[in-house]
Amino acid sequence: MVQVAVQPERQARRKLGGRHVRIVAGVAVSLLFLFPVFWMVMTSFKQQVDIFTTPPKLFFTPTFSTYAEYLQRADIVRRLINTVIVAVGAGVLSIIVGAMSGYALARIKLRGAHTFGLLILLSRGVPPIALAVPMFLVARKMGLADQHITLILAYCTFLIPYVMWLMRSFFVSLPRELEESAMIDGCSRYGAFFKIIVPISMPGLLSTLIFSMILAWEELLFALVLTNRFASTMPVAIAGIAGDTVNGANWAALTAVGTITVIPVVIFALLVQKWLIQGLADGATKG
Amino acid sequence: MSTVDLINVRKSYGSVEVLHGISLHIADGEFVALVGPSGCGKSTLLRMIAGLEDVTSGEIMIGDRVVNDVAPKDRDIAMVFQNYALYPHMNVRDNMGFALKQRRVPRAEIEARVLNAGRILGLEALLDRKPRALSGGQRQRVAMGRAIVRDPNVFLFDEPLSNLDAKLRVQMRSEIKELHQRLGTTTIYVTHDQVEAMTLADRVVVMNGGVVEQEGPPLELYDRPRTAFVAAFIGSPPMNFLGGTMVDRSVLELKDGTRLQLPAPDPQNRSRVTIGVRPEHFVLASDGWPATVSIVEPTGSETQITARLGGHLIRILVRGRTDAKPGDSIRLTVPADLMHMFDSASAPEVAATEDA
Ligand SMILES: Nc1ncnc2c1ncn2[C@@H]1O[C@H](COP(=O)(O)OP(=O)(O)OP(=O)(O)O)[C@@H](O)[C@H]1O
Ligand SMILES: [Mg+2]
Repeated sequence: MVQVAVQPERQARRKLGGRHVRIVAGVAVSLLFLFPVFWMVMTSFKQQVDIFTTPPKLFFTPTFSTYAEYLQRADIVRRLINTVIVAVGAGVLSIIVGAMSGYALARIKLRGAHTFGLLILLSRGVPPIALAVPMFLVARKMGLADQHITLILAYCTFLIPYVMWLMRSFFVSLPRELEESAMIDGCSRYGAFFKIIVPISMPGLLSTLIFSMILAWEELLFALVLTNRFASTMPVAIAGIAGDTVNGANWAALTAVGTITVIPVVIFALLVQKWLIQGLADGATKG
Repeated sequence: MSTVDLINVRKSYGSVEVLHGISLHIADGEFVALVGPSGCGKSTLLRMIAGLEDVTSGEIMIGDRVVNDVAPKDRDIAMVFQNYALYPHMNVRDNMGFALKQRRVPRAEIEARVLNAGRILGLEALLDRKPRALSGGQRQRVAMGRAIVRDPNVFLFDEPLSNLDAKLRVQMRSEIKELHQRLGTTTIYVTHDQVEAMTLADRVVVMNGGVVEQEGPPLELYDRPRTAFVAAFIGSPPMNFLGGTMVDRSVLELKDGTRLQLPAPDPQNRSRVTIGVRPEHFVLASDGWPATVSIVEPTGSETQITARLGGHLIRILVRGRTDAKPGDSIRLTVPADLMHMFDSASAPEVAATEDA
């Protein structure tokens, strides 16, 4: 009897202690991640003279001049638009192809399907730089160099395997009888997938889509190699500024453009965070 | 409504054959139960009828059409799964109406049929709920509703009650029976519970290891089991088995040397025989086989006695009450027509009542 009474109390206390540890750890990790971002944003509002003071100034007169300058430049605006096109294009294409192939891997009995799936995943082991140059040569031959579609397809090469495997494990965790029931109720395999499986998997699909879009948004290497002027993206712009050291590093420009690149992602993440959290949690309990 | 015919149906997974040639004729409107121990191939057979598994060889016919290569959606069947498989993103109404919507039935008619099924199953108040907001029994009812709105040729049930608690199971069992009497749709019902099979079905098919052991009306299986397996499987509490050698055409010698005078001679004059007697068929008498009572379990309407007979533990069920006490010596007789005889070779695994 005594033990029964003591046990929950001790458990509660341990739980409470665990909670404190979790909060502290969470704050520490967040600080670790956010500090560089904070530094970037702060630097972007400084004038050149403030940037190089030692020790660094935390209080200074902010200036918007760098933002004003870069947001007016046609090439930056153009690149922002390109980044949106490419990230959305690559995200949507990879979720469609990846989810369908993930479903096939999860459910349809095909000889060698598993080996095939593994090969696709293993292709991710090839360093991207080894692929970028051949891709560029192929794209140029086909007259597709410096086009959005080229970059979208290039991103799909690493996004599709990722989406495919993520969604495969999601689909595997769904009871098979759902589709079987739909197929008895009058659906074809496609019908069962689109009418039953897709709606049920919406949170998982959306969170995967969001991650894919973010990966495409920040990708540099392929963008650097495959695009030049017309279709190049924000990370390329940042790299350009970083590489332009004729007058010493232009930190204000670098951090301002960096901030401009990050802001849409943050806004987007805030808009979809409900889906994101729900999607991640669903995956955890069903997997 | 429709007949279902299985003609020498076989199923292999890779090189392993799990169904070894099943033939069955199911009449229009008949309620057939497939029973058998776990892994005997009941679900596989049902899923083949539904079109969810390929047929390795043989033919499956629904009505007069061979459906081996017909997609599930074109077989006009409805199936209730063990886990119900309700569509979690649709409410009860849409779950039940889904199949009709797929068949482009006019909206008003869908509504009417869903309402009607909802009324039959007592689901009217729940039509707007999502499956996750339903209890197990309610989900089961929705799964049934989804099948009956279809008005299909054949109902297929795969252990639909096994996720329910005992009381609800008995209740749903009578509801299913009533439903079948009302709708008269050909029904194939898979269960591993022989009581369910016996009480529901017009005909019971006992399967074992991928073959049909015996089929027939429930009471025929009870009265005239052809194999020891069927004898052991049908009936509760299960039949007692006593194996030994025949020292005379009608005297059985058990392993410990006890000799039992059988009420009837072995017509086949075998040297080794296993006899089977159902617990309720033993008669306490002043003369007969000697046994010693070890446990007495009265339930009021009947009394179950566990007794020791020549090294075997046997179960005896007597109507009403008895004054037998543990340690008492009793004498048992069996009416000749209620004693079953099997080849000892075919009855090795049913020696479960043997005292080890
Ligand atoms: N996909 C499969 N691959 C290989 N073997 C299978 C597969 N599905 C079923 N089997 C085998 O087929 C046999 C019959 O299985 P089935 O599911 O039909 O049994 P069951 O009679 O329904 O049993 P239970 O009462 O446990 O549901 C089993 O031995 C099983 O191992
Ligand atoms: Mg089964």
